[in-house]
Amino acid sequence: MLTCNKTADRMVVDAPNSNGPFQPVALMHFRDVAPAEQEKLFIQKLRQCCVLFDFLSDPLSDLKWKEVKRAALSEMVEYITHNRNVITEPIYPEVVHMFAVNMFRTLPPSSNPTGAEFDPEEDEPTLEAAWPHLQLVYEFFLRFLESPDFQPNVAKKYIDQKFVMQLLDLFDSEDPRERDFLKTTLHRIYGKFLGLRAYIRKHINNIFYRFIYETEHHNGIAELLEILGSIINGFALPLKEEHKIFLLKVLLPLHKVKSLSVYHPQLAYCVVQFLEKDSTLTEPVVMALLKYWPKTHSPKEVMFLNELEEILDVIEPSEFVKVQEPLFRQLAKCVSSPHFQVAERALYYWNNEYIMSLISDNAAKILPIMFPALYRNSKTHWNKTIHGLIYNALKLFMEMNQKLFDDCTQQFRAEKNKEKAKSKEREEAWVRIENLAKSNPQFLVCVDSSDLNSPVAMETDVPSIEDVQRLRKTVEEGATQLQRDQRKERPLVRRKSELPQDIHTTKALDSHRRGEDMLTTHDGL
Amino acid sequence: MDAFKLMKELRANYEQEGHYIPKETGLNLIESTSQNGGGISAKCRDAQVEDLWGLSSFFAYSTQTFVLAVNLLDRFLALMRVQPKHLSCVGLSCLHLAAQRSTLDSTLSSGHELIRIGQRRFTASDLSRMEKIVAEKLHLTASAVTPLTFLHLYHQVALSQSPSSRKEVLSLDKLEAQLKACLCRMSFSKAKPSVLALALLRHEIQAVQSDDMLEMTHHVQRHLKIADGELEHWGECVARCLSDYESPRCSRPNHRKLLWVVSRRTAHNLQTSSCCAPDLPTIPEAGWDHSQSEDLSEDLSSGEESLSSSLEGPGGYFPLHLRRRR
Repeated sequence: MLTCNKTADRMVVDAPNSNGPFQPVALMHFRDVAPAEQEKLFIQKLRQCCVLFDFLSDPLSDLKWKEVKRAALSEMVEYITHNRNVITEPIYPEVVHMFAVNMFRTLPPSSNPTGAEFDPEEDEPTLEAAWPHLQLVYEFFLRFLESPDFQPNVAKKYIDQKFVMQLLDLFDSEDPRERDFLKTTLHRIYGKFLGLRAYIRKHINNIFYRFIYETEHHNGIAELLEILGSIINGFALPLKEEHKIFLLKVLLPLHKVKSLSVYHPQLAYCVVQFLEKDSTLTEPVVMALLKYWPKTHSPKEVMFLNELEEILDVIEPSEFVKVQEPLFRQLAKCVSSPHFQVAERALYYWNNEYIMSLISDNAAKILPIMFPALYRNSKTHWNKTIHGLIYNALKLFMEMNQKLFDDCTQQFRAEKNKEKAKSKEREEAWVRIENLAKSNPQFLVCVDSSDLNSPVAMETDVPSIEDVQRLRKTVEEGATQLQRDQRKERPLVRRKSELPQDIHTTKALDSHRRGEDMLTTHDGL
Repeated sequence: MDAFKLMKELRANYEQEGHYIPKETGLNLIESTSQNGGGISAKCRDAQVEDLWGLSSFFAYSTQTFVLAVNLLDRFLALMRVQPKHLSCVGLSCLHLAAQRSTLDSTLSSGHELIRIGQRRFTASDLSRMEKIVAEKLHLTASAVTPLTFLHLYHQVALSQSPSSRKEVLSLDKLEAQLKACLCRMSFSKAKPSVLALALLRHEIQAVQSDDMLEMTHHVQRHLKIADGELEHWGECVARCLSDYESPRCSRPNHRKLLWVVSRRTAHNLQTSSCCAPDLPTIPEAGWDHSQSEDLSEDLSSGEESLSSSLEGPGGYFPLHLRRRR
């Protein structure tokens, strides 16, 4: 028992050896033991729980002892919840060690596809097999942290940077229940251990950087962002430079990633919290959002529109004026989008009272930007609901200032007429060239009359019957050739180019035996 | 058209215009009705005309259609006692009738579209019934003499009499927009179309400060025998109305009056995104506390207080599913 302090810094190394002195006996209950002996029993139970069982490859093994461990964990949870002064100094290292042994493990590789192909709404997460025990360990540790007797000054010797780093690595677990516990655990640790806060923030940043720029795969981004949300909410004013850099270099680039839908609500909350704390950050945030605006991913565009509306809900009028022009240019594009959800979401901004008040204060600048997109789409958009929403938007603009609206209408018509005149001019120029060519005496000699079509009729040009038959024959021959080629063996190396091959490489590849041919048994772990 | 023919045309229309002016007693009745009275007040009528203006802009109807619609509406309201609840149906019927009389606009919209976009509560059969009633009561003819008729004629006269360099100065589009703004106010329904159009033209000419065109207006006024006093009076009204119209002040519109229909998916999206209150309590980044001085060497950011006291409480911060176990 007294060697606890030394083992504290070799906690991780001890983990594989903890299956050592396994006591195949159910220890006594706390209530059956005199108060003086309870601490010793507590430590024995904790050590007993350092034994790990196999739930994955052999779920039915050691059922009796699995139940013993489960009962012990359950009892300890009740014990520290309902009793005071039971968390004494010798307990701390034992608890931390027990948690470390049970939890800090290498997560198995995911059987789900990674990156953009992983759809968190469709693919089933792989749940943790040892959850019956892990759940109790998490619960116990949380109650330990939350106990009124818990003293961070004592615990900080054992809950150190290495512990926190390993805890953070667990956030990549696919099991959402585990991540939920981890979220609460880390949240409490952040709250209680002031000395670890900077380290935790730095390590979370590193996780995000790796996620954004290297792997684009991590299951715990939403949970980490939730913790950050509560941290950001508590920032003191004026905001420190470190936090501003975090916003610009970490939170904003998180919008780039393809799997944004998994963590977008939490991310949006963090961003809005920042802007509520310091409104001078509005301009860089909005410009970054416009920079990262999705161009082909429509569901993501709808998410961006949600976030932008939340930002506009808290924006200061002076900041609004700085960003209004690029913002409404983007909104004009969204309103014209053929994807009806994007257009609807953008048009729904007009149902927001605060945004309407901001627009009406700056209508002279905003209406000329929005008007062409709205007016054009009132006639050409395919979706009828959109027509109704465009009417609402236009009507609200009309109510703001009639003259401004009339001026925009006139300008729109003038530009349309200009465009029509230009295209007419262009067509006339082509006809003129054609006539000029026809007047050339060498005309009939050079040109085959069947190729002569007027510029407008070119799209309706129909191939001749002989051309069609020739084409059909070529296609049939090509198809039969392809069938013959496919029956050959698929080569080991797919040659994309016609470069000369290296003779040694060719020999090495030819003599290679594929892995599947060599292995006869599946070496499971 | 040459000047002589234009003058003849003017004269002919001047003689006809009396048929198309709304009954004065009817207009007076409307103007004297208060907002809460049983009938239609001037404000109701103005609101309806503004709505029709919105719809005409949306469907890109010609000015002729809008002006004719307002003319029909005023004539009908001056003739019949209409209940406020039917006003929107009457308004839309007038617009639809006017649209059908224009060669350009007749293809542009069906009654169904007008009702749907105009967010009206009645059906297409209601609309066609009302149209029949309006057409019957007003003895509708193919065309009507409206202020726009005169405006176009005056404009042609002005152009024919001024040198080519001055042609761009007087913009017909601008005049039409100003006319529409005037028609949105009930007070102008009493004006004779010829006088109203001339007053408008004079106002614009005075704005561009063209003396020879002003001379032209005097000539027309004498030709049509329009009284000075009458022209003065309406000139003042026009000036007041247009100064209001041209003010850069933007009013706050009311989005709640409108119907916001979105698809099911967007509605669902709006519901779920609006609730994002976090369930983790805030961790304050509080001020300097001297008792924690030995920790600060590890802490990169300056000074934070101990929070163990503030986070205590009878199971107050436990995740919900653990609390329920008790």
